[in-house]
Amino acid sequence: MIVHEWLFLTIAPCDAAEPWQLGFQDAATPMMQGITDLHHDIFFFLILILVFVLWMLVRALWHFDYKKHPIPQRIVHGTTIEILRTILPSIILMFIAIPSFALLYSMDEVVVDPAITIKAIGHQWYRTYEYSDYNSSDEQSLTFDSYMITEDDLELGQSRLLEVDNRVVLPANTHLRMIVTSADVPHSWAVPSSGVKCHAVPGRSNQTSISVQREGVYYGQCSRFCGTNHASMPIVVEAVSMKDYGSWVQNFE
Amino acid sequence: MAAGGDQEEKTLTLAQQWALKEIEEQAAKTEPPVQATEDVKPANSDSVEVVAEKTEEISATEEAIPATEEAIPATEEATPATEEAPPTAEEATPATEEALPTAEETPPAIVDSNPVTEEATPATEDATPAVEEVSEDASEERSGEEVVSEESGIKIETAPADFRFPTTNQTRHCFTRYVEYHRCTAAKGEGASECDKFAKYYRALCPGEWVDRWNEQRENGTFPGPL
Repeated sequence: MIVHEWLFLTIAPCDAAEPWQLGFQDAATPMMQGITDLHHDIFFFLILILVFVLWMLVRALWHFDYKKHPIPQRIVHGTTIEILRTILPSIILMFIAIPSFALLYSMDEVVVDPAITIKAIGHQWYRTYEYSDYNSSDEQSLTFDSYMITEDDLELGQSRLLEVDNRVVLPANTHLRMIVTSADVPHSWAVPSSGVKCHAVPGRSNQTSISVQREGVYYGQCSRFCGTNHASMPIVVEAVSMKDYGSWVQNFE
Repeated sequence: MAAGGDQEEKTLTLAQQWALKEIEEQAAKTEPPVQATEDVKPANSDSVEVVAEKTEEISATEEAIPATEEAIPATEEATPATEEAPPTAEEATPATEEALPTAEETPPAIVDSNPVTEEATPATEDATPAVEEVSEDASEERSGEEVVSEESGIKIETAPADFRFPTTNQTRHCFTRYVEYHRCTAAKGEGASECDKFAKYYRALCPGEWVDRWNEQRENGTFPGPL
């Protein structure tokens, strides 16, 4: 039954964790696409090395049998092979490091001026979101708390421990700046489909930039243990068109 | 740039404290792109129209050229005059080519070059598609951004990326913008329009709770920043 679900119910882009999931969630940002691609590239070489090492191991076990070779060879030292098996892995590691660092630093870089700043403030155990681009005074006009929907209040189709009452609404195909901070203990703002995981540290504001490439609803969870209800402060991001975002902002009470 | 900003925070001499020039210039440089495109847009749409007009004019003059060529055999005296004409056309071509890069930004340049291109029809035949491509590309980019803000019905604008604070940690970015705003109002007077942008920046970057706390501290005279 589970396998059935796994095979047939995952045709739609999956932007939330699901039962028996093995791979990544579908990428919604170029950052996540880069992470996925890097993972797959490295995995190719990983499999090659794994097969090679396994082959050596099995071959050794197979051939060096006490019946075939009653007197074992007493080799304890070999300069050539020791140099080779040190140099070769370090070269492989270097070739893995190059794309890895390239991706790491490109993710960190703020290339363009963002269009919208959204502040995500972690609390024990809920999140507050502030959209302050439209404020004309220090009074917060577009601020809301985002609480998890408890198991009893779930409606059909909603995910347990993942759904919230107020989602973060943001426009798709727009450069966004997320300012992540915390009001009490360290939290983390993480959305796997966006390739974002940003720690929320009290007294410090961390910036991460995202540009969601398609409209949809993306789920994430707190990724820094923050107390008893660490599991019940998920993140739900709803990416909409710029038009819908505009009307959402205008109609916000 | 970074050094300038830091210095101004740390210096204690009154003259330097009141000098807001550096901050303002800096802010002017880091103005968000949306505003800039709004200014450029009307001018740009003109340039597209001008290009369209120009191509029409050129096609008109193209028709006119064969007519003058026919006239050449008829009057031998007229030939020196027409011989002179091609060189002027050649001379004119560099002028139009020079105009190409400027065409993106300054529509007046295109308008000026118009009479030249009319004279230099054969040469500009090659040049015109280039002009069109350039100005079309530019207008597409700009109009794209323009559409975004029109589409949403709200002003999409936020604090720009500041290269004094290129790292993930934006704590000081927020704090600096807050201090900049209050130094600005101290110098220009409460509610000065020049300071509005700093207010916008720090509101975008600072969590509301921090702003409230700092406002309280300023009232009590315990604010730790260089106000």
